[in-house]
Parts: sequence; structure tokens; C-alpha cells
Amino acid sequence: MDSLTLVLLLLALGTVAGVAYRQLRGRGRELIRPEKIDLNRLPTEKNGVPTKQLGKHATLVQFSTEYCGQCPGVRRQLSQLEYRMGGISFLEVDITERMDIAAHFGISQTPTVLVLNANSELVYRVGGVPNMKLLNEELTKLGAK
Amino acid sequence: MSSQIDPRGPRFGAAITAVLALAGFYLGLESHPYAAVLTVLLFVLFAWNVFLPKSHPYALIFSKLVRPRLQPPTSLEDARPPRFAQQVGFAFSILGLIGLLGNLIPLNIASFAFIFIAAFLNSVFDYCLGCQMYLLLKRFGLLGK
Repeated sequence: MDSLTLVLLLLALGTVAGVAYRQLRGRGRELIRPEKIDLNRLPTEKNGVPTKQLGKHATLVQFSTEYCGQCPGVRRQLSQLEYRMGGISFLEVDITERMDIAAHFGISQTPTVLVLNANSELVYRVGGVPNMKLLNEELTKLGAK
Repeated sequence: MSSQIDPRGPRFGAAITAVLALAGFYLGLESHPYAAVLTVLLFVLFAWNVFLPKSHPYALIFSKLVRPRLQPPTSLEDARPPRFAQQVGFAFSILGLIGLLGNLIPLNIASFAFIFIAAFLNSVFDYCLGCQMYLLLKRFGLLGK
């Protein structure tokens, strides 16, 4: 193969990887076997105030770090969602100094958002900035309106 | 609180790096003597960014010529993950240099390819590979506080 072909192949590889990333970004995945989450073991906060308040239908838990660039934006969006939708609660956990929590949940990027159902079982998770439309559908499934 | 930066700054630099790395990849494949020049150039640019980021030509061009022509940033991001990404790039540029000096041409070419992919994804698709590695490596305890 000549060099120019290889250059074009490298460009194509980068483009395919980038497009795939854009397509898959923010798509969460459903957990087949829901895991029960004990919120008492997580330092959850709402607007910086410690709280364990669960939503009637669903609870969103956002994992953030101090150095995460997109966390504040996602926090704003999820706060608005909590305000607009009935029966959901939005909590945040700062894992900057809690890599044990990151390891437990297998978090490789922040923000990571968990969706818990009414029994505080983990049913859905999104790594990165969530696709709000898909997240909305997930919450609607759990009974939030 | 650590320093905050305009996220478009690193992406601007990455665009230039991507062009240089792709040129180096091509020249390396062609066994052109200028591949050596680009190997050294990338090494110097990464080293500069790791050790003296404030005086780096990318930073100066961005702040003097590019940023004044852009809208104000919609958000700022923490400087730590992009700085770490520069260190990853620096490590790969060292591999390129080892390839050049040790006459291991495939290593030299592979380092150009990797630097290109990472810089291309960052500049075009806003996906910073090195930044993603930051949390992961912290989780495995491979980075300090």
C-alpha cells in the first residue's frame, strides 16, 4: 500500500471513531439485574447540602469531580428536570476524593448519572453528558411525568 | 480551586498538532528526512506545553489572535485533565524520538499515528482521550492527588 493510502486510512479511522463517539454519546444502558443502592453509604448532596431524599418514582444520582468540565452544565439540566417532573429527586455525589466509590460503580468518566427506581434499585446509567430525550423516556417508564 | 481555562484553547492547539502529526506520519512512511524534523518539533511543542504552558506559541496565538475573534466561552473547564492529556502526548512524542534515534522507524510512525488520532478527536469531535484517562488512572491510584 502506498503512503497516501495509509494517510487516508488513518484519517478515516479518526473520523469513524469520532462519529461513533458522537452517535453513542449520552446513550445510557439499562441494567438487566437491578442493583439495590444504599444511599446511606453515599455522600449525596442537593445544592451542596447533604440529603438522602428519594424521589417517589425515580432518583437521579450524578457523580461529579472538581475537575470535570461538563458536570456543572449537567447539574443545571438535571436540577431543571427535577423541578419540571413530578416524583423525581436529583442528588449529586462529589467523588474527587472518593475513588473508592468510582471503583465500586466502575465509573470511568464524570459526569456519570445513575437512575434509581422507587425501591432505590439502579436500573439505568449514563456515562458522560446524558442525552436528555432518552433520559426523559427512562424516567417516564418509571412513572415520573 | 485550580485554574480554569477556555476549553477552545486546547482544541485550537490540538488542531495544529493533528496537522503536524499527519504530515509526520506521511513523511515517515516515505522515509523522508523531514520526518525527523517533525518528530523533534512535536517533542519540543509537547515538552513546552508540559513545562512552560503559559509561554507556549499555541497559547499565545490563541489568546492574541483567535480568542478576541470568538464569542466569550459559554463555560470554562478545569485545567487539570487537559494538562494531563498534554503529558500523555508528551510521552508519545518521547516514543517517537526514541524511534527516530534508535532507528526503530515503525515506532516513530506509530507515535505520529497515535498523536494524530488523539489530537484529531480532540479538535474535531471535542473528545479528549487523555482527559478520559485522567479519572481512570486516578481510580487505579496511578496518579497523585
